[in-house]
Amino acid sequence: MQELFESINWALITPLLVIQAILLLVALIDWAKEEETSGPKWMWFFIIVFVNIIGPVLYFIFGKRRD
Amino acid sequence: MTLLTVKKLTKKYQDKPAINKVSFNLQQGKCIALIGPNGAGKTTMLRILAGLLKPTEGTVTFTDMQANDDIRKFIGYLPQYPVFYSWMTGFEFLVFSGQLAFISKVEAKKRAEELLKKVGIYDARNQRIGKYSGGMKQRLGIAQAIIHKPKLLLLDEPVSSLDPLGRREILLLIQELKQGMTILFSTHILSDADEVSDELLLLHQGEIVESGSLSKLREKHQTSVIKLEFKDNLDEYQSKVNKLRSVTDSYIEGNMLTITAINVSSARNEILMAAANENWELDSFTLDRASLEDVFMKVVNN
Amino acid sequence: MQWTTLFKKEMVESWRNKKLIWLPLVMILLAIMDPISNYYMPQIIEAVGGLPDGATFELPDFTPAEVVMMSLSQFSTLGVLIVVLVSMGTIAGERKSGISELVLVKPVSYGNYITAKWAALLLLVWISFFLGMLASWYYINILYGDLSFGSFSRIIFFYGLWLMFVVTLSIFFNSMIKTSGLVAFFTIATIMLMRVVTEVFNHILEWSPNNLSNYILEMLLTESIPSNLIGTAIITIIITATLLIVSINTFKSKELAN
Repeated sequence: MQELFESINWALITPLLVIQAILLLVALIDWAKEEETSGPKWMWFFIIVFVNIIGPVLYFIFGKRRD
Repeated sequence: MTLLTVKKLTKKYQDKPAINKVSFNLQQGKCIALIGPNGAGKTTMLRILAGLLKPTEGTVTFTDMQANDDIRKFIGYLPQYPVFYSWMTGFEFLVFSGQLAFISKVEAKKRAEELLKKVGIYDARNQRIGKYSGGMKQRLGIAQAIIHKPKLLLLDEPVSSLDPLGRREILLLIQELKQGMTILFSTHILSDADEVSDELLLLHQGEIVESGSLSKLREKHQTSVIKLEFKDNLDEYQSKVNKLRSVTDSYIEGNMLTITAINVSSARNEILMAAANENWELDSFTLDRASLEDVFMKVVNN
Repeated sequence: MQWTTLFKKEMVESWRNKKLIWLPLVMILLAIMDPISNYYMPQIIEAVGGLPDGATFELPDFTPAEVVMMSLSQFSTLGVLIVVLVSMGTIAGERKSGISELVLVKPVSYGNYITAKWAALLLLVWISFFLGMLASWYYINILYGDLSFGSFSRIIFFYGLWLMFVVTLSIFFNSMIKTSGLVAFFTIATIMLMRVVTEVFNHILEWSPNNLSNYILEMLLTESIPSNLIGTAIITIIITATLLIVSINTFKSKELAN
């Protein structure tokens, strides 16, 4: 593992991580503001936080109530 | 002056007519109530007039309409359960509605401000519609329906979902709007119609069964109503009453037996005579002007 | 003017429900995932325990053209799926909830209504796709070698046409069906069916929109624009325009209160 960490050029990886973090954050902020979601609200919290990338996308597509 | 002419309007769903060969005119400046029991076809009728449904047959024409005119330009419409973009504010929605009806942005903003004040939700103008209560949505619904100054305002059951206070306020608002435009509103609550409308259209099973001004309808139907109240055995009394010579019709509603007759005074005598001779357990006897309810029931029962 | 009102409303809606933020982010992630993970594949294999003794693992040296195709293939699968899911309710949802009743009772032209939705959706998808490809291009240039600006912009243009087709197909089903889920289903099913048909009858259907990616690869390898690519692009544009016109007419003939 040590070697892997050393061999990685962090300047290249950081943008990837930052974008993921922004996505997670945007989803969480939206989730917090939403009064009602389709399906239990707490469930979406876990999906957003623990399912990398896909979680926020699922929340935005299926979690938000449309109208 | 005639504003709108409806000719032989028919709307069929799988060959079953929801509206059947309906013809009528609307006079400019009147407030007309479209009344009828649930399922009579009121909503279907209003949606056709609003251009949301296409009639199977028949025509709807405005008097000074050009051949190619879009009928929707002349119409403001409030559905029974208006749905809005919950992410917009009330103000934004009105401006959006106005612009869709070809009003410039500046003018639309001006009118939106005025209307928000008029319908009484000015304080909530910058709140998301998602947070509005039912009554506020109804007011916003009226505001969006009149932002383009339509010639005809169509309201589908505008007060039936409101509490007594809200209903009172909306009825007052309709009364106020009546000064500026022709209004056609549907309701199944007769007292509402009685309160604000000048004219009535009675719709029953897809057909107009009666129409005219309120006073004319009253005159036509009023001579003949006698109300008898009993504790029980109403059916029995009804059959007795129906055998009397001058009685033409009767119906039961709760403890009340309402009777129509050719000649009220002779009917009164016959009834009172029979009541005295046969010892009827009569709780009350009323000689009444026909209420809208009576007219309605009579017409519908025929 | 009425069109602008409808279009602006769509864009504001996309902004407020955060589509305009998350879709570009997701497209960027999709686009750069493969370029980065392939570059670090040897280290990753090493880190998880290496290969068994004696086994050797030769990673091919990917060319920029191959890597850019990896990004495109992500767009063609997950990307298209997300675009379809994002667009499935744009008209169907409005009709189902009843909002369209208040919009369409105003003198709104059906053509304006449909094309404003189409254009707003297309803009959203194109922006997301462009940003994704820009990020992919950046990584490719650093990790794998030069991909010329000319190639890059031609990829954007031609693959953009494919995405336009997907968006239009979704609008087409939106104008017919009131259930969002069914709109998504039919859109995906049509794309898949088209792919199968294109593969089976490839000798006749040389210019099927599904072939856009293949010709883009050919373009990158030969460093010229193949005539088949031009033909396919023209066919894609014609099909798109036809679908739009048909959508407007279908929508017109619909009873909007139902």
